[in-house]
Amino acid sequence: MSFEETVRTHAADLYRYAYWLARDHAQAEDVVQEALLRGWRAFPRLRERAAAKAWLFSIVRNEYLRAAGNRAPDAETLDGLEIADERPELFGLEMRDALAALPASYAEPLALQVLGGFSCAEIADMIGATEGATMTRLTRARQALKRLVAPREHKAGRT
Amino acid sequence: MNCLDYRRQLLCGTGETDGMRVHRLQCAGCASEWQEQAAFEGALRAGLEVPVPAGFGERMANAQVARRRRFLAVAATALVAAGAGGYAWLARQDPLALANIDFVMKEEANSIMMGAIPHAEAQAALAATLPLDRLEGLGQVKHVRPCPFNGATAYHVVLMVPQGKVSLLVMPSTRIRGRHHAEKEGMHAEVMPAGNGSVGVIGIDAAVVDSVAGALKA
Repeated sequence: MSFEETVRTHAADLYRYAYWLARDHAQAEDVVQEALLRGWRAFPRLRERAAAKAWLFSIVRNEYLRAAGNRAPDAETLDGLEIADERPELFGLEMRDALAALPASYAEPLALQVLGGFSCAEIADMIGATEGATMTRLTRARQALKRLVAPREHKAGRT
Repeated sequence: MNCLDYRRQLLCGTGETDGMRVHRLQCAGCASEWQEQAAFEGALRAGLEVPVPAGFGERMANAQVARRRRFLAVAATALVAAGAGGYAWLARQDPLALANIDFVMKEEANSIMMGAIPHAEAQAALAATLPLDRLEGLGQVKHVRPCPFNGATAYHVVLMVPQGKVSLLVMPSTRIRGRHHAEKEGMHAEVMPAGNGSVGVIGIDAAVVDSVAGALKA
């Protein structure tokens, strides 16, 4: 598959992944553009063309980190969301708003898993975490989302 | 597998293994949980799939095509420029002048070691091509000796001029038209017609070579 075809196939998911890193549409587009420029230069040296998708996601991640001053998303705790028990306005959110409320360090592995279709081991490799830590983040992210999108009455019933 | 394990694995989003499936088919509570989770995963995917700008994929792919075209155009331009430059460089490299440089680099030391021929003999040998007194008008003739060159006999001359040393190769049997130049490994040579043959001026300093060649032509 040529680089153009590879780009055509994965551009949308690369954009969405960049969006969940940057949380900004314009920045996501810039990040993907720059990443594809780097990818285009390096593509002839890519030995396993089958790995092109994971490779492009990694370039997008690196490009985002470069643009953000090499700051990887902190492995923030979900404490902020847990204390939201006292902030009922955060409950009953639409899924996208709930995702936006999730720390980047939790949203990123979710995006890689759901949008990219990568395994826990692959995600761990991409974000530089252990497989166990990655599974924990994925689980906790889903738990937090479930609580955030739960209906307000359901939340009210719990308090 | 128990219910706790099943639900824990389900929350990872890694999909259902055979072992999990067996458990679900036997456990109504986990079957219900699985259905709920499937709905959640659908909503999660929909949430993550933020709208992508219209035509983004096509635009990005076309940018790569345009980039490749630009790259090829630049590469082709560079190739043409390099070719033209190389041709111009080669065009400046006259083969006879290059042979003169090669002679000085490889044979000059031998010629000097063999010793100069007597002045009168040199005068007679050079008379028809480049009279010795013309050379003596330019500087001090330190050495004259016949040497085989290009299948004929040429006369190797070492001339000291005020600006430094130059070598000359007087070639009575080589006729050429116009003045030609070559440079190689830091040496410069000018060849030009002289009397019934030609002469080459060879040296390290291009300005000195040019100056001596100019004086001889005059």
